[in-house]
Amino acid sequence: MIYLAKEDIKHILGKFIVTAIGVGMLLGIVLIMMGVYRGMISDAEVLLKDLNVDLWVVQDDTLGPFAEASRVHEDLKYTIKAISAIDKSEAITFQNLQLPLANRKLAVLAIGYDIYGDINPINPDRLIEGRVLQTDHYEIVVSDKTGYKIDDKIKLGRNFYTVVGITHGSVASGGDPLVYMSLKDAQELQFTYTNKRIQTDKARGIINKDSHLVNAIIATIKDGYNVDEVAQEIKKWQHKSVYTREEQEIVLTRNVVEKASKQIGLFTLILIVVATIIIALIIYTMTLEKMKEISIMKLIGLPNSIIIKMIVEETLVLGLLAFVFGNIFAHLIYDKFPKNVLLNIPDAWLLFGIVVIASILASLIGVKKVINADPTAAIGG
Amino acid sequence: MSQQAIKVENINKFFGKGDAFVDVIKNASFVINKGELVALVAPSGAGKTTLLMMLGCVNEPNSGKMWLGDEKVYDDGWLTKETRKIRREKIGFIFQAHYLIPFLNIIDNLTLLPQANGVSDNVSKAKAKELLQYFDIAEKEKAMSSQLSGGQNQRVAIARALMNNPEIILADEPTAALDTERSIDVVKMLKKLALEQNVAIIMVTHDERMLEYCDKVMQIENKAVVFT
Repeated sequence: MIYLAKEDIKHILGKFIVTAIGVGMLLGIVLIMMGVYRGMISDAEVLLKDLNVDLWVVQDDTLGPFAEASRVHEDLKYTIKAISAIDKSEAITFQNLQLPLANRKLAVLAIGYDIYGDINPINPDRLIEGRVLQTDHYEIVVSDKTGYKIDDKIKLGRNFYTVVGITHGSVASGGDPLVYMSLKDAQELQFTYTNKRIQTDKARGIINKDSHLVNAIIATIKDGYNVDEVAQEIKKWQHKSVYTREEQEIVLTRNVVEKASKQIGLFTLILIVVATIIIALIIYTMTLEKMKEISIMKLIGLPNSIIIKMIVEETLVLGLLAFVFGNIFAHLIYDKFPKNVLLNIPDAWLLFGIVVIASILASLIGVKKVINADPTAAIGG
Repeated sequence: MSQQAIKVENINKFFGKGDAFVDVIKNASFVINKGELVALVAPSGAGKTTLLMMLGCVNEPNSGKMWLGDEKVYDDGWLTKETRKIRREKIGFIFQAHYLIPFLNIIDNLTLLPQANGVSDNVSKAKAKELLQYFDIAEKEKAMSSQLSGGQNQRVAIARALMNNPEIILADEPTAALDTERSIDVVKMLKKLALEQNVAIIMVTHDERMLEYCDKVMQIENKAVVFT
């Protein structure tokens, strides 16, 4: 049997491929949007995975440093450590900084940790150059996304910090690169005011010497203890909010990235609808161009099913070709985006299913035109 | 098997009702036999296309009876829902222009219809090659219609009309786009075909010079079909 769709596509191959590339770029953007969403979720979990702790003790009635301001005293880590179920307990700070680059500033999240402590937030697998922090002052480990090199000097606050290590893939939930510094340096940056501010405060009678604050205490528990029960105990006696790792994940995914992911989801949906409409219009135009031939085919007696099959097959081929081009396009550009774009195979299959359904829907408009085509239009020139 | 290709009895066709009522064909009755080339001549608007479309089972008459070969297909209503199947199996069409499917090569243009009728690829191709040989264009079977001359395309279009071994071929002004010399060639070819392929051909024409090559001339006068 003659494959009408194949022969028609061969006849207009150049135009068909250019059209498929155009629709493919649109589908590529859909894939990128899905990748942005996946990247956000992945980014949100990087720090949690790297820290790999069981409990987060934060300021009472707050969701913790990922969602809102949280301050607790550094020495709370000793109190927590004293609990029999606790294995390790450390203080940690998080601070948004603007890292000076050559001609602009780059937003980063600075993590302060006790370099002599039991919990090190720097995942050794991510350290691609240099070393971890070894002294309490003026050393910094940065993400490769900052563009800094080993031994570069960075001015933050009053001091210069030397880059001693470079990490790869270490990002905050918002996609900003992570930098690591000692707890003392981080506390100074976050809680110590400038000389002028101290002078002014002194003149006003305000004396605030307490820089021994941190944003959270993180802890691991010993084998054999139930995390939820330990969390309940700490909540009860220390008047702090305590989150397990799973709860922190929920805070990150629901409270921090939920709106952004909904927004991306809506954009993706709109793009899919637009792509469907565009495919439908292309098929409609292609059908209109063939109306004379369709009338002749109907007049000489070809059944509608053969003509409809041609329209549907052409739409499907267009959709599938566009899907292939979309994937190529997405893979060519995904790493050019400033934030992490994670392209994964299940999303591609999901889009494949959507493209098939959208193509069938889009072909309906052409099919309707075929059904309504008047065979007598072939008569009389 | 009788030689009857098409027979109509008291066929009527009108459009609209009330003030918009238009009577087009009234009580048309005639028989056309296989092997005959019949010219259908009438002024514009007299109902040539309407009659042709009724004979081609495209448009439904309002009343009457009609046979294609020995099979009754209309008796105050179509006797089958699938009039398109009747066209596919019993009728051939030739148009003013060749109207070949531009994205199919010549042999595919010819085999499309029989294949839709369930004829195998090999059988339909053999028939198509035979007809292309008959029309002296066998070497063009893989060409696209855009690569053929007007005359060659018209011959392919005629070959296509013969692919389903029709009872009748309806030709809508097949010479309209040709010069006199080529027109005469085509009409002579149709005459030859009617005899050799044992098929009836009804040809709409405005060119009176072609009438001498036809066996009968059918005219529409005051809504009635008459033969001269």
